Amino acid sequence: SQPRTASHPDSDAGSVMSPAGCSHVNGFKVDNWKQNLRVIYQCFVWSGSVETRKRKAKSCVCHLCGAHLNRLHSCLHCVFFGCFSKKHIHDHAKNKRHNLAIDLLYGGIYCFVCQDYIYDKDMEQIAKEEQRKAWKLQEFCKTSGIGEKYSMWEPTKRELELLRHNPKRRKITANCTIGLRGLINLGNTCFMNCIVQALTHTPLLRDFFLSDRHKCEMQSSSCLVCEMSQLFQEFYSGHRSPHIPFRLLHLVWTHARHLAGYEQQDAHEFLIAALDVLHRHCKGDDNGKKANNPNHCSCIIDQIFTGGLQSDVTCQVCHGVSTTIDPFWDISLDLPGSSTPFWPLSPGSDGSVVNGDGHPSGATTLTDCLRRFTRPEHLGSSAKIKCSGCHSYQESTKQLTMKRLPIVACFHLKRFEHSAKLRRKITTYVSFPLELDMTPFMASSKESRMNGQYQQPVDSLNNENKYSLFAVVNHQGTLESGHYTTFIRQHKDQWFKCDDAIITKASIKDVLDSEGSTHKRTQ
Amino acid sequence: MFNRFQFLFQTNISRESQMRAAINQKLIEMGERERLKELLRAKLIECGWRDQLKALCKEVIKEKGIENVTVEDLVAGVTPKGRALVPDSVKKELLQRIRAFLAQHST
Repeated sequence: SQPRTASHPDSDAGSVMSPAGCSHVNGFKVDNWKQNLRVIYQCFVWSGSVETRKRKAKSCVCHLCGAHLNRLHSCLHCVFFGCFSKKHIHDHAKNKRHNLAIDLLYGGIYCFVCQDYIYDKDMEQIAKEEQRKAWKLQEFCKTSGIGEKYSMWEPTKRELELLRHNPKRRKITANCTIGLRGLINLGNTCFMNCIVQALTHTPLLRDFFLSDRHKCEMQSSSCLVCEMSQLFQEFYSGHRSPHIPFRLLHLVWTHARHLAGYEQQDAHEFLIAALDVLHRHCKGDDNGKKANNPNHCSCIIDQIFTGGLQSDVTCQVCHGVSTTIDPFWDISLDLPGSSTPFWPLSPGSDGSVVNGDGHPSGATTLTDCLRRFTRPEHLGSSAKIKCSGCHSYQESTKQLTMKRLPIVACFHLKRFEHSAKLRRKITTYVSFPLELDMTPFMASSKESRMNGQYQQPVDSLNNENKYSLFAVVNHQGTLESGHYTTFIRQHKDQWFKCDDAIITKASIKDVLDSEGSTHKRTQ
Repeated sequence: MFNRFQFLFQTNISRESQMRAAINQKLIEMGERERLKELLRAKLIECGWRDQLKALCKEVIKEKGIENVTVEDLVAGVTPKGRALVPDSVKKELLQRIRAFLAQHST
């Protein structure tokens, strides 16, 4: 029999293997075999419609023992289902001399002569098409918005050629440091460096740029998105020497004049300015109209960073509620010790239970700050709102909640206070968790609380509102002279400290004990 | 011939497998089985189980040689360890989902 090899896209062998079938399928490939095979896939392997599912449920049991488990296979030559593990299908194949069977779980074709699964090009093609069809029929495809079933990358002829001409391979192991690179400080530019480190380690952003998704529509060479793309190339090039981001700095000065100059700037301001410029440069001309309406923008920045903040203003007289939803890129939280009062907190909110707060020294937690942020606030007699229900000015309460969560949430702790009397830095320690559940701060949670629905014990299985920490930006020093550094997470559980050009390994404890003026989480 | 098949069919199934078969039927009919499969796939990738299995498979392939290894070699070499490596939390979650589904659709 001819040598048989299977395709292994991520095998260690240097040569590329091609899928091959066996000669024993020739007996099967007669008459209307393609249609027959499709029917088998649709009815017994990947049943997309209600009728085929019903039929599959009833008939897919072993004809010898009745079991539906045990790696059930269907004979390709007749209507017979048999267990693979119990060799029932093997007996059938021997007795009837039917050489081919199909695995009902995964759709693989088994040849009893070759005694292995075979990969015939034509049959594989049919299998792929049927799987895709069935996937599209599934309900969750429509609700989750995932239009295509994930299929592994398989190289095209051209790509195979390129791979052969470029034999050098880079292996991503658990300890490799690819993606880590220092940034030279060009004169008080740590405010920019710290944010760049956080952005280059935002997984979705990284994936977007490394897969070359930006199609530039700008005529000039001053596109910040193109520069970001370049930056990602530098960071993931494997070079260990620090990168000098002079072009990035120049572009920032060009597009965000208020950040130009060699003085120390605010990292949070830089983050917002950078996101804004990137968002504007993402879509070329169209963005002129959409710049003020991020709800309609589908650029990568909006997809990743934009959330919706709901503001409810309740009239104290008629209890009418006026609701607005505004987009946001970050959540700026007041801290205790600032001149705005930090308490009283809203009663009945369960933030602390959910997020397992309980820092031994009773320190303020991030969820304390979030509870304060989402508390109902009496606007007072000097700030009456015109109520459309009462047709007059009335006292009201205002409450902020999260309507729509972004994929990456940036929390900004307002450590720099600029009031009429003083300018100072608030150094109060605020503890934050590695995992954060935003459910108690959602608009939907507030609504169920108000409707008297018992606040469900948080469904720990529901991960929709859960965030995982991946970057923390810290400011050391005073308002006048200080320095920014960033902790970033790599490989799920390894942390590194980025201090301009110097990257060092850090422990989780280092990260959680830090001041954390700005930190970012991803869902 | 057909009737005899049916008779054999009925006496060979114990009550437990009967129940299993009934549950399986319901899961397939309502499309829940596919949803559970997708959930399970996501959970197993998330917790790193898939990567662990990939590594185990590579070991088997290295041992047998890539020209000679069959799917059966992989199944035999990897199944017991693979089953043991599934985290309890994933098992628990799947069970809860199935329980909830059955409670919702009990006849």
